[in-house]
Amino acid sequence: MNILIKDIIHSNFAVSTDDGDKINRVLNDRFIKKESIILNFKGITLLTTSFLNAAIGKLYSNEKYTSDFLNTHITMINVESEDKHLFSMVIKRAKEYFTNKDEFEKNSQDSIYGNN
Amino acid sequence: MKIYLPTKITSSIDGYELLLRFQNDLSQLQNTTIEISFLNIQWFEANLVAVLGAIIEYLESKGNTIRIVEYETFIEKTDILFRNKFFPQHRVSTDRPLLDSSTQIPYKKFKDYEESLYNDYIQNELLNNTDFPRHSTRLGREIRRSIFELFENARTHGKCNYIHTCGQFFPTKKKLNITIVDTGKTIVGNVQEYLGKNKNSSDCIDWAMKMNNTTKTGDIPGGLGLGLIFEFININKGKIQVISSNGYWELTNGSVFYTDINFSFSGTIVNLEFILKEGETYRFHDEPIVF
Repeated sequence: MNILIKDIIHSNFAVSTDDGDKINRVLNDRFIKKESIILNFKGITLLTTSFLNAAIGKLYSNEKYTSDFLNTHITMINVESEDKHLFSMVIKRAKEYFTNKDEFEKNSQDSIYGNN
Repeated sequence: MKIYLPTKITSSIDGYELLLRFQNDLSQLQNTTIEISFLNIQWFEANLVAVLGAIIEYLESKGNTIRIVEYETFIEKTDILFRNKFFPQHRVSTDRPLLDSSTQIPYKKFKDYEESLYNDYIQNELLNNTDFPRHSTRLGREIRRSIFELFENARTHGKCNYIHTCGQFFPTKKKLNITIVDTGKTIVGNVQEYLGKNKNSSDCIDWAMKMNNTTKTGDIPGGLGLGLIFEFININKGKIQVISSNGYWELTNGSVFYTDINFSFSGTIVNLEFILKEGETYRFHDEPIVF
């Protein structure tokens, strides 16, 4: 399924967390139906990490969405070459963030319940 | 009561301290009519009306009524505060014809849910402004990205009533200054709450400016926006100043300087200066997207 980002956020600026959330919801809905997605950035003239953190980074909060799963289920097209580094930053950051988040929660659990 | 604005308001540590002192002097007032006099002003860096606008919002939130008075002498020197719409928004009018110049990005305040209005504002006032110096698409993109990352940071971290913004560009010097001010939770408060430590205010700002550091929790990762601005400003050889609570932090010519100052601001001021000359805009190169 081809998802044209600007049709969902009604703007050429993919900049806000709220608009990123809209894309994240669409991705989740489609993944539940086991669909693969083409995310089409055609017409997007400005992109921020705030948008991508919510749209893409948030996916890593769901353990089912492994890197293998995402690589086979999402294809990005029409991304400006100057924007591609943002994806790498956001993906790297999300992996670190959710790994540390799990560790933090694990440590909190350990301190409450002990770890035997 | 009448209070006089300082004579010189510039984007220097002294200039910010004067503005913060001005706010501090009035902080005890409630339900009072306050006349802010422009009589002694010799220089007011136009984009810093975003700070004055935030101070006025703070004073009005305490039931005070604000009037701007004795502005006639100032108007003889410059009409910039009319052209950038700060004076008209505070009920100051003039019959004088204004200079036919649009080097200003008007003063405006936004609610935190008005991000689409902010998009329109940047589109209309910056991108569609024919007086804006010519520059490459790439440079323009990185400047706009920084502005939006900053606005989004203020919107999602500050939990503020309004975000005040104003800009000014200088065609001959090839510079763009833009100031974004929020009156919500300070960076210092957020960092101290998150780290649970009593760091100095300026140390807290320094922590927040580093890539990957964020006070955000929950399902959306953060910590890239300010770091990205930092990196771009560094390469652009521009300037960024951050004032939050009583912390002052700046990056100029690749050097970071931070210190605590004598007065405190109940929010966060960020002043960005971009150099509109072509050069390297980003270190990153085309790379494949791999999850």
